[in-house]
Amino acid sequence: MSCLDIYGTKLDSRMMIGSALYPSPKVMQESIQASGAQIVTLSLSRQNPQASGISGGENFWQLIQSLGLHLLPNTAGCHSVQEAVTMAQMSRELFQTDWVKLELVGDDFNLQPDPIDLVRATEQLLKDGFKVLPYCTDDLVIARHLVELGCKVIMPWGSPIGTGKGIINPYATQAIRDRFPEVTMIIDSGIGTPSHAMQAMEMGVDGILLNTAIAHAQNPQLMAQAFKGAIEAGRLAYEAGPMAQREQASASTPTLDTPFWHSA
Amino acid sequence: MPQALPKIAILGAGLLGRLLAFSLRNDAKIKLFDQDSGDATQSAAYLAAAMLAPLAESAESSQGVMRLGEASLKLWPKILEQLPEEVFLQQNGSLLLAFEQDLASLKTFQHNLKDDAYQSVGINEIRALEPEINQRFHQGLFLPNEGQLDNRQLLKVLAKALSNADNITWITNATTEIAEDSVVVNGKCQNGFDWIIDCRGLGAKPNQIDLRGVRGEVIRLYAPQVTLNRPVRLMHPRYPIYIAPKPNNQFVVGATQLESEDRRQPTVRSTLELLSACFSVHSGFAEAEILQNQSGLRPAYLDNEPQMRVNGNVISLNGMYRHGYLLSPVMVDMCRNYLLGKTINPVYREQLPNILQILTVQMEELA
Repeated sequence: MSCLDIYGTKLDSRMMIGSALYPSPKVMQESIQASGAQIVTLSLSRQNPQASGISGGENFWQLIQSLGLHLLPNTAGCHSVQEAVTMAQMSRELFQTDWVKLELVGDDFNLQPDPIDLVRATEQLLKDGFKVLPYCTDDLVIARHLVELGCKVIMPWGSPIGTGKGIINPYATQAIRDRFPEVTMIIDSGIGTPSHAMQAMEMGVDGILLNTAIAHAQNPQLMAQAFKGAIEAGRLAYEAGPMAQREQASASTPTLDTPFWHSA
Repeated sequence: MPQALPKIAILGAGLLGRLLAFSLRNDAKIKLFDQDSGDATQSAAYLAAAMLAPLAESAESSQGVMRLGEASLKLWPKILEQLPEEVFLQQNGSLLLAFEQDLASLKTFQHNLKDDAYQSVGINEIRALEPEINQRFHQGLFLPNEGQLDNRQLLKVLAKALSNADNITWITNATTEIAEDSVVVNGKCQNGFDWIIDCRGLGAKPNQIDLRGVRGEVIRLYAPQVTLNRPVRLMHPRYPIYIAPKPNNQFVVGATQLESEDRRQPTVRSTLELLSACFSVHSGFAEAEILQNQSGLRPAYLDNEPQMRVNGNVISLNGMYRHGYLLSPVMVDMCRNYLLGKTINPVYREQLPNILQILTVQMEELA
């Protein structure tokens, strides 16, 4: 199976996993390990690593860092270009990585990304030396703008964050895939079950980012394993090339040697 | 001649320290070391809402926590009846509500409950249970077996009981460290204890390295225009916000939950979230007086479940997380029986296999 390429870093696992919403840090650690993911996303917002003296979120960061995976800081909760840029810079300093998953909320109801400010912030961050992984909708033209600016990775949604509805517009997802075959395409949100992930992988997307679907499962560790299998199987199926569908049945066993009274 | 009572040092006079000292008052000579002046204001128990909500908590916690929470609910009345004054214990259930746009969160919450001892309620049932609240709530869940305590009253009455007990010496303003089998109190070593019990919560971090603090922000209100018959939880995308009615028109509203050990004052965002939740449940909160707006840290282990760790004659009770009032009776019962050489209820370990960790036992026991 081929590798996932994130700005030149080659990874065996095609899953990215989030670090929020688990019932406990222990379940989080075990789920991340079970998923086999090599990239873990985390958010700086609402925790205060710089807070006075030893207090703050360091414990939590250290816990995630102890897993020894690539960290992908996100800008969750940012509503403006300036907010997102500032948070990206803080994250770069704190987590020692120039990767950033750029999230810019355009609507508080479904947390849909703001496409216009997303393009603006992406431009600014790329100039500032960041390797930007923008979270966008499945709009082909926005994807094109992001690719033209220099993004090597784009992260369109399958459906809105936390909904678990899967790929709600397969046509749009496929269009982005087909139009930008050289770009790494990760489905960032909306995946609810392993079958959704598999469907996306069979369409040829390069990877899946998961959080709620695992963290809110009845048994997150087990669900992480389920997704690991589904993503691998989906990728293998894509690389293997599925058969063409047809309307008429076609026997898979040759019929030449069956007696004529058995035929039709 | 009667056998001499064992000498026990209890470090920390929060909820666990007080309850444990109280439960051992006739069985041991106890020194209770308290970092506070006796009013428990620095303890997590002072800030907490003292909800006894095993089922509601099970949306995020294990079945074991729920079952032991149920066991504690049965133990509480027995503890309270031994106290010299009455303490407010309410068992009217709790009500879970969601606004239209958060119904998906309610559904998820319901899906995650680990028992079916609840009723789905509609607009009429909600009105019957809580006639005063916002009429826009159409759907909710009623959890009839839940309750709550008045935490500050309890801490006060326990203090009174302990100060009247002959076998208990309460030492206030005492900073403590544990050095092998002695206690260092404000820099001076004290020896001669048969047992040292560490109930210091996050203060025990030097000895319990896998302990962490989980920040919570809590607001206490005085709202004479509001009557609620039971705690009400309101769905919120990140954490359910509860409004717990206490005696004398006081309400405890909380709590945020952040993976951070930031000890600073509550933020504007958290305050807005908590207060707008109140106002949206009952408009009478508009004129409420804000008595306190505070932040605190819950002591938690990585699995967010409590543990009693026995290391020779040093015992640690810690990791109560969100469940100080919910699980303390069980922890105290377990510790008391261990100290007195009695049988520990096997249900505790069946439900939470890690609840009792015996690292090493005392030399005498080995012999």
